Amino acid sequence: MLRFLARRFVSLLVVLLALSLVLFLLQSLSPTDAVHMMLGENASAAQVAHMRHELGLDQPLYVQYVRYLGEVLHGDLGISYQTRKPVSADLAQFVPATLELGAAGMVLAIVMGTLFAVSSLAVARWAHLLTGVYRNLILALAAAPPFLLGLLGLILFYKEWGVLPASGRIDDQSFSGPTGFMLVDTLAAGRPDLFGNALQHLLLPALAIAIGPSLVIGRVFASSLRGTLDFDYVRTAMAKGLTEGQIVRRHVIRNASNPVLSLVGLQIGAMFAGTLVVENIFGWPGLGQYMSRAIGTNDFPVISAVTLILGAGYVVVNTVVEIVQAGLDPRLRLAA
Amino acid sequence: MDVPPPFATVRDLRVELTRPGRDSRAQQVLKGISLDIRPGEVVGLVGQSGSGKSILGLTLLGALPERSRPAVTGEVRVGGVDVLTASPKTMRQLRREKLGVVFQDPMTSLNPTMRIGAQMVEATGSRQLAIDLLARVGVPEPAARMNVFPHQLSGGLRQRVMIAMAVAGKPALIIADEPTTALDVTVQKQVLDLLAELRAELACSVLMVTHDLGVAGEIADRIVVMRDGEIVESGGVAAILTRPQHEYTQRLIASRISLESDRTRPLPMFEPSGEPEDDELVERIEAETYPVWRPAPGAAPAVTVRSLTKTFAQSRSTTLRALDGVSFEIGAGESVAIVGESGSGKSTILRIVAGLETADRGSVVTLAVAGRPQMVFQDAGASLTPWMRVGELLAERLSVEGVPAREHRERIERALDVVGLDRSVLRIRSRELSGGQRQRVALARAAIVPPAILLCDEPTSALDAWMAANIINLLRHLRHEVGMSMMFVTHDLSVARLIADRILVMRRGVIVEQGAAEEIIAHPREQYTKDLVGAVPDPVFAERAA
Repeated sequence: MLRFLARRFVSLLVVLLALSLVLFLLQSLSPTDAVHMMLGENASAAQVAHMRHELGLDQPLYVQYVRYLGEVLHGDLGISYQTRKPVSADLAQFVPATLELGAAGMVLAIVMGTLFAVSSLAVARWAHLLTGVYRNLILALAAAPPFLLGLLGLILFYKEWGVLPASGRIDDQSFSGPTGFMLVDTLAAGRPDLFGNALQHLLLPALAIAIGPSLVIGRVFASSLRGTLDFDYVRTAMAKGLTEGQIVRRHVIRNASNPVLSLVGLQIGAMFAGTLVVENIFGWPGLGQYMSRAIGTNDFPVISAVTLILGAGYVVVNTVVEIVQAGLDPRLRLAA
Repeated sequence: MDVPPPFATVRDLRVELTRPGRDSRAQQVLKGISLDIRPGEVVGLVGQSGSGKSILGLTLLGALPERSRPAVTGEVRVGGVDVLTASPKTMRQLRREKLGVVFQDPMTSLNPTMRIGAQMVEATGSRQLAIDLLARVGVPEPAARMNVFPHQLSGGLRQRVMIAMAVAGKPALIIADEPTTALDVTVQKQVLDLLAELRAELACSVLMVTHDLGVAGEIADRIVVMRDGEIVESGGVAAILTRPQHEYTQRLIASRISLESDRTRPLPMFEPSGEPEDDELVERIEAETYPVWRPAPGAAPAVTVRSLTKTFAQSRSTTLRALDGVSFEIGAGESVAIVGESGSGKSTILRIVAGLETADRGSVVTLAVAGRPQMVFQDAGASLTPWMRVGELLAERLSVEGVPAREHRERIERALDVVGLDRSVLRIRSRELSGGQRQRVALARAAIVPPAILLCDEPTSALDAWMAANIINLLRHLRHEVGMSMMFVTHDLSVARLIADRILVMRRGVIVEQGAAEEIIAHPREQYTKDLVGAVPDPVFAERAA
């Protein structure tokens, strides 16, 4: 297992390095000239040349890359053209919001996916004539894009019934806490009322990004459960006289969960993409809003930094998934 | 004298299953079975795949697959419990206290993500008891083995673990469903011996479900023969094996591959369940005789293998020498069998000659004028791409061998003739063919351009007696018609003897003995070869000799 962990760790580093290289190259190939963006259109040639030297842009590409890498490792992600503040400072403000939304979405997706899986098995078992109807219903929902679901949620829960708020993370704008995670901070501050309020704000956007992935997860989980139930070792367990509950808990869930975990890791990507849109709909002050503003103004340091953060998050999550899978299935430790 | 009441009674049992997926029509799998299993009795339940024998075993266990929506009528009583109406709780208690089960494939019947110990304790209830039982069934270092996962054990050891779990509750009845089919002959013998010992110790009954009359004969007191969901004949082992009454049983026995099957004649063929009434190919094959092969003077050998060496890394520090300087030749038109246990290196040679693996050292030279070497795999029928039409599959091989397109039609039709298939199959996708047809297509594809050598990798080991006899007949027929050289890898000497002119016995990467097939079987020199010969279950011969 230690060797397995070491290998996963090394390959994680390699992928992150490759990611940084790609981002760096994109940045240097970009038609947007950093110097012009910083100095404006009316700068003189001398000013531009001076700035180029200052930024090290007159040096060979590999020297620039090594410096870029050093800066990233020290947490220096450049200055936003637009806000004129260090990108890292902006990120410290926006990352927790997006992380909170993403984590809530993931938890919801897993919980709902499991429910879908179990219910579709139940439907197949007790009302197998309805199986097709149920499957198509799920397929239709899975095909709906997050922004549509978000708008639908707003219309129903905010406009029609008025039970959930439409935007922001919390009603009390003055509240802030050390971690930036509203649910954590409100609890830490001993304010259950604010916790409830933050939860209400979180619910709709989290649902909007979770529904698609949850259905995909549910479908794969259901077929994985079905496949696992057909395995000989399930019959063996039954022949030992174990109860149905014992069989499912000890022999089925663990073996059925591996393909689902791969999928959860991959769906994280879809969810990040979802947050970029959904944050705009719900006025959620996170990376998505930050990013869409940056795209509009060609704010390349920001675009590159957010991409780096999201990419790194994706890679790290998938590495964690692989490690968990190896923990669940000893055969995977050998294959690595 | 009092006859004890039977432990299990089956009366007029009918089972209908609706297999999900297919056309969803209910199929009657058991058609009125009546059977008693007396205390301490070993019943061998013999039949081809699809005869319903495994379903009978599962019914006794109350474990028919729910997805197939079983409809069951009749009466099944096991250990005083009415299995068809008992509550889940009663059934669990029955399974825990009175029944033990051993399934076919020990790799899939153990949970791959659970340590052996945890799985054992589920059956025994205590760790110490689990260790004692593992020791009893012959698992070396049982305490250490408690901590490993199933994939870290050999097939034979896994089956021992499975048996240990089956006997943990001191069952009154052990249901063994093809417990040795997935194992080597030598391991099969050990496992059968173990089952027989445990049966004597526990004085329990055993229902031995198998397609192999030999296996049933080794262990059973009574044999029950099933076909298409019905019992055709039952009786004592000696009676069934030496004086079978029913024609079906007679054919089963006749088609059984044994150490005394006639080498010059094809095996008797008979219809499997659900295959169409057979065609003129069967008649053609049954009229064939196979002369003794003699090397043609001056002909170059089909394959020359020189000092092959191959080493596999097992882990970072240990390596396994799969082949250690192996040399041999196969003459043009000759058939050679390589025999040995798993791990002897026999499959590695095959893979190197086929070009699927490269040797560390040594050389393989095949005849340049013939087609590339072709492989026939364990399950020949399964090696066809399911969505391709038969015509496409055959044409594909012709294109690869560089046969001009204008000759395709003629070559394909000739190949179909050789394996006795109608032209109409050319437009059928291979997944729509029957099992027997698929085998034939696979062989037609291999022989359509006669290969320098036909490489066969245990093509009989996963098949029941009928399918095995069928493919051996087809292979010998092909050789007869097309005149190919063959290299045949198997762990079963009785198969090797039938198919090969010469046998090479391999052990741990070297050839330990070789010679003419009959000679090796009749007068083995090495102890290892003697063990292989002794492991072939041959109760028919034993009964007649007795």
